[in-house]
Amino acid sequence: MLVHIDGPWSPLLGRLALSEIPYKNPILVGTFVFAMLVGVVLVGLATYLGAWRTLWRDWLTSVDHKKIGIMYILIGLVMLFRGFIDAVMMRTQQALAVGPRSSGYLHALHGYLTPYHFGQIYTAHGTIMILFAATPLLVGIMNILVPLQIGARDMAYPYLNAVSLWLTAAGAALVMASLFIGNFAHAGWFGIVPVMELPYSPGVGVDYWMWAFQLSSIGTTLGGINLLATIVKMRAPGMTWGRLPIFTWASLSANLISLTTFPVLTVTLALLALDRYVGTHFYTAGLGGNLMLYNDLFWIWGHPEVYFVILPAFGMISEIIPTFSEKPLFGYLGMVLASLGIAGVSWGVWLHHFFTMAAAPAVNAFFSITTMVVGIPTGVKVFNWAFTMFRGRLRFELPMMWASAALFLLLVGGLTGMMNAFATNDYMVHNSVFVVAHFHMMLLLIVYAIFGGVNYWFPKVFGFRLEQRYGKMFFWLFTAGTAVVFIPMFTLGFMGMTRRLDYVAFPQWGPLLDIEVAGIAIYALSVVFLLAQLYVSFRDRAQNRAGLDAWETSRNLEWMTHSPVPFYNFAVTPEIHARDERAWRVEHGVDTVRPERYEDIHMPRNTALPLGLGLLSFGLAFGLVWRIWWLASVCAAMIVVLIVIRSFDNDTDYTIPAQDVERMERDIRDVPSGRPVTGDVAGGVPAFREGV
Amino acid sequence: MTHTTDNAWQHPEVQLASGGYVVAYVAGLVLMGLSLWIVRGHVLAPMETGIAISALAGLAALIQCVLLLHLNISETQIWHTVALILFIPLFILAIGLSSWMFHGLYRRTMLMPAAHVSAPATGAQAAGAMKAPG
Repeated sequence: MLVHIDGPWSPLLGRLALSEIPYKNPILVGTFVFAMLVGVVLVGLATYLGAWRTLWRDWLTSVDHKKIGIMYILIGLVMLFRGFIDAVMMRTQQALAVGPRSSGYLHALHGYLTPYHFGQIYTAHGTIMILFAATPLLVGIMNILVPLQIGARDMAYPYLNAVSLWLTAAGAALVMASLFIGNFAHAGWFGIVPVMELPYSPGVGVDYWMWAFQLSSIGTTLGGINLLATIVKMRAPGMTWGRLPIFTWASLSANLISLTTFPVLTVTLALLALDRYVGTHFYTAGLGGNLMLYNDLFWIWGHPEVYFVILPAFGMISEIIPTFSEKPLFGYLGMVLASLGIAGVSWGVWLHHFFTMAAAPAVNAFFSITTMVVGIPTGVKVFNWAFTMFRGRLRFELPMMWASAALFLLLVGGLTGMMNAFATNDYMVHNSVFVVAHFHMMLLLIVYAIFGGVNYWFPKVFGFRLEQRYGKMFFWLFTAGTAVVFIPMFTLGFMGMTRRLDYVAFPQWGPLLDIEVAGIAIYALSVVFLLAQLYVSFRDRAQNRAGLDAWETSRNLEWMTHSPVPFYNFAVTPEIHARDERAWRVEHGVDTVRPERYEDIHMPRNTALPLGLGLLSFGLAFGLVWRIWWLASVCAAMIVVLIVIRSFDNDTDYTIPAQDVERMERDIRDVPSGRPVTGDVAGGVPAFREGV
Repeated sequence: MTHTTDNAWQHPEVQLASGGYVVAYVAGLVLMGLSLWIVRGHVLAPMETGIAISALAGLAALIQCVLLLHLNISETQIWHTVALILFIPLFILAIGLSSWMFHGLYRRTMLMPAAHVSAPATGAQAAGAMKAPG
């Protein structure tokens, strides 16, 4: 039944052996020492501050959508850093390994990375940036914002939300574990077929990639179901579909995509698992297998996934621009239809990822046209943003800077995307770094929107604004880095440079690769300013204290509750009167009205089960990667047991009595933004957790 | 968060079950067993095998929709059935466009030659397939 694997295997440790620990590789040893130091510092800090109890009670076992969102964002930031380091290594390797005379270090013939190691790095970079950086960052932001924007107490399924988080965390941990135990896939983030099949990748790398992918995809599917149910069923009274905030519409469209396409990915990877573990031939070359089946199935998920990550980014831009233009959003209905339109078209464009792989001309023409059609709703969005800014009172504060710079990236990425959409043109640029530069423009657009969104909603979640001076330096350096890396990359694409080169055979490409290294150095410098911004913001948080409405001209429901948001979100579920509820209340002078009486609040209770499920999923995946069958079986059985235990648990919620709500509300003093406060709460979401 | 019913017997899904689940389960087992038998035993030519197991899969999906998901136009279930508005276009897009692509693909590549042989698979063909590279 099981495929025979060459090499040692023991019942206790499976394929795991001491020789699988890469202790001879100085890069990985250095990384290990760094990771351990960070770990020791964090554990030491938590112990020194006596934070373990808080950590356990307020974070690890929490089902609060805001805290889950923050933990998602932390995972995303850590993985963003890891993916960035991968990018630094790729840039430096390519710049060092130019021409036959370039010297080699650390056992590499050219540069300092062997082809096998380089392959793992570009695979890890892609996998991490899309699945473990962009997706968790956006899911985290949707998690925090959607219930606040629709006036809900929490997500529709708070427990499921925590399960999604910990499944994603398990996937991310699996990718990280592959650094120090064994190795990672070298077959590209999308799995170059049939390289990721067992005969060509007999090691554990592809298994790590496959199971980490699988865990995060299950987590995201569950998260999508949760957000959809929340948006459809949990809206505050009076919030009709026409009054739904635009970011919530964007989340709805995005999660329609995740609900319908992530299951395809789950099946695709499950079939690959069958190929690699029990010897079926779904994607093999020969024996009835079909290579194109994998490409087809993967991109049926893969392209909609791109729009799954870009739609929330568009949603954030649509929230930031009206606030800093001091005008309502232009063309709300057009914006909603465009979001749904992008989601709709996303299901019909996947074949443009393999135009060159022998599809009939008519098929290529069809997918060329559908791909170009994406430009129409996107264009509608861009014009709506432009008309929102037209004759507005523009304030270029940090969120607005990120949002408006994102529009320029959208222009470059969109136009180059149109160029790639022509199948004939794609034959020229397929597999070149031109395509790489194109999709980095689109993904950087998402990163810009995320930084804009984080700056914009940070005061809502933590109660103080981020400092602007270092923040602006971070913005400009990051933008300079983007230009200096990607303009040469577009140029190299036109010069015919292909992707994934561990050795560059043409010396004339060398100077441009050197410029790209300069660009990545600017990126690295910008990270210093990001850290400085975060540090200074935290140090001076008393001066940057935010009131209800941190930007004074915000328009939506989330700005009507306190900053930071209490764990029950709204003391009294608000009645919705207009599309921009906060703006409507300010206009009618009722924004400071206190509720005349409070009611009991029904809340979900914390539980440690999701964390347990995450740990067990990690164990299950780790056991499967190394073929440690006892570990995998025990973890799978324990997962079933935990699910059964949970289904018999009737004590999953509690009620906060009305008088407690009233007392907590009395204790919260909303101060106008920017005024120093003495003797204030420490800041951050856990601030108001008494009364539980 | 939602208010849940603590008593599982009160869930509408359970109330609606009335034996349909067991029938669906048995039917699913039979249909899957039949597909497995067709594939393992090489009882049909490759193209006919594909058509037969697709038809069986369609039947299984239909049975699941009716007996497990209770898709019908009754007042209580109509909203579940309306979800087909999303499902049917997606089905046409994903399956239809994929089939279109593969249909043209086989004429342009040498992928999987056996799939276009309509004659029943003989021992010689099976042996030939075994020797295929990869």
